[in-house]
Amino acid sequence: MTGETYLTADEITKTYGDVTAVSEVSLDIPSDAVTGFIGPNGSGKTTLLRMLLGVERPTSGTVSYGGPAAERQLGYLPQRPTFRPGFSVRETAGFYADLVDDDPDRLLERVGLEEVAARPVSGLSGGMTRLLGIAQALAGDPPIVMLDEPASGLDPAMSRLIFDIVESIADAGRAVVLCSHELPLVEETADRLVVLESGRLVRTGSVESLREQTGGPLHETFTALLEQDRATIAAPEGEQA
Amino acid sequence: MTESNRFWTVFVREVQSAVRTRTYIALGVVTGIVLFGLAYAGGGPAGGYVPTVVDTLVAVEVLVPTLAFAVGYRAIADPAVRGELDILDTYPLSTWSYVGGVYAGRALLLLTIVVVPLLALGINVATTAGPETTVFASHRGVDSPFLFIRFIALTGLYALSSLTIAFLLSALAGSRGRALVLALAGLLVITVGGDLAVFAGLDSGVTTSTLGGALAMTPAGAYRGLVFNQVLYVAVPGRSAFVPTWVAALSLLFWWGLTFVGAMLATDAA
Repeated sequence: MTGETYLTADEITKTYGDVTAVSEVSLDIPSDAVTGFIGPNGSGKTTLLRMLLGVERPTSGTVSYGGPAAERQLGYLPQRPTFRPGFSVRETAGFYADLVDDDPDRLLERVGLEEVAARPVSGLSGGMTRLLGIAQALAGDPPIVMLDEPASGLDPAMSRLIFDIVESIADAGRAVVLCSHELPLVEETADRLVVLESGRLVRTGSVESLREQTGGPLHETFTALLEQDRATIAAPEGEQA
Repeated sequence: MTESNRFWTVFVREVQSAVRTRTYIALGVVTGIVLFGLAYAGGGPAGGYVPTVVDTLVAVEVLVPTLAFAVGYRAIADPAVRGELDILDTYPLSTWSYVGGVYAGRALLLLTIVVVPLLALGINVATTAGPETTVFASHRGVDSPFLFIRFIALTGLYALSSLTIAFLLSALAGSRGRALVLALAGLLVITVGGDLAVFAGLDSGVTTSTLGGALAMTPAGAYRGLVFNQVLYVAVPGRSAFVPTWVAALSLLFWWGLTFVGAMLATDAA
């Protein structure tokens, strides 16, 4: 179930010299929903996410926030979260929580890290570090949470746990945006998909509507969409549908 | 939550981090050993405060920026590489609160490393200065702990200015490798490059009458000039201003302010 629009991107483009990372992408991010960005490596998912976050400035186009008033509007989990060494899990959560008057214990409970609160962050596994990153992303109850590859490189059980948490974040009324290559998990979790290739938005829609186009699981849909797109680009102008 | 609370949160984390890093304790011990070693090698503590300043000044002029760069060269580069700056961009934390908090924490650490050994040296002078005659013995009447306190205060200002330069270079670096290279380059410019540039200027416009003012434009020259004007003048009868005092004071303030603002702008762009 998707709600009101919390974030709007209007024809945003990002270029680095001669290279166009994202080209004229327009999209809305609704509340109460998980929006999944999928696409091959180098398709511009992370750049798009960072522009929506405001961490990266678009070369052209605008991003506007339309969500509720909040002290912190956006939460962010980077692809490889790394925390300052020498501090415990609780101290690390406490630092971020203090910036927005939140309770670190509540944040750790939210992601199931309360049992390892005293452990140094350097002693966390990759999955636990990712969970601490999600706890940090939830500090201050931001209406929009963006997660860049939240489960990449993790074992299936940890990936499952992380996607369950992602789903519960959206259930709390937030808008969740995630980039991921874990297509089966994205298929289960996302309410809406944004397919990117070579920096262009190829298609947006619900998982069901995209699946209807090929009749198979998401990875087949994904491959079919990209093939269609490449064929469109390769075809002479007059032959394009 | 106010900006000052956020500044405090960042500051407290820096201090906690410094307290837990044993390398900094070692750095303070080494600084103490170097200062005491130099002072005793020159016989300064037995002669009084001013001879002790003479014995240690040249070393302090190099040691302080070295310590400042050791403390600050990764202050902004590290969180930028870790992705922490991107995360903090999503918090209602201004660049001023973040850079200011990190700077205040590291400045406290640097001042502790620099000032505590100097204070210990001053206490040592107070308890061991003997009556034997030295070149400064005729000025024992004006030699006083206040001169040494002035020396410590000026050294503190020099340390704070050196630290902001280290912060600026750290914010510009973008990677740990570049941060190290820039730190070494910055250290060379502060300790040697400034004076060299002024002396090179003797061939093109700088004259003996403007030499003092030109030297006061560089951080090291300004510090050295202020120490001569405010501390060592008692040992040089008939000469009171080695560099224009106000130029040297403004120069240190200018370097501090300029590089601090530069560090904030560079952190914003990082």
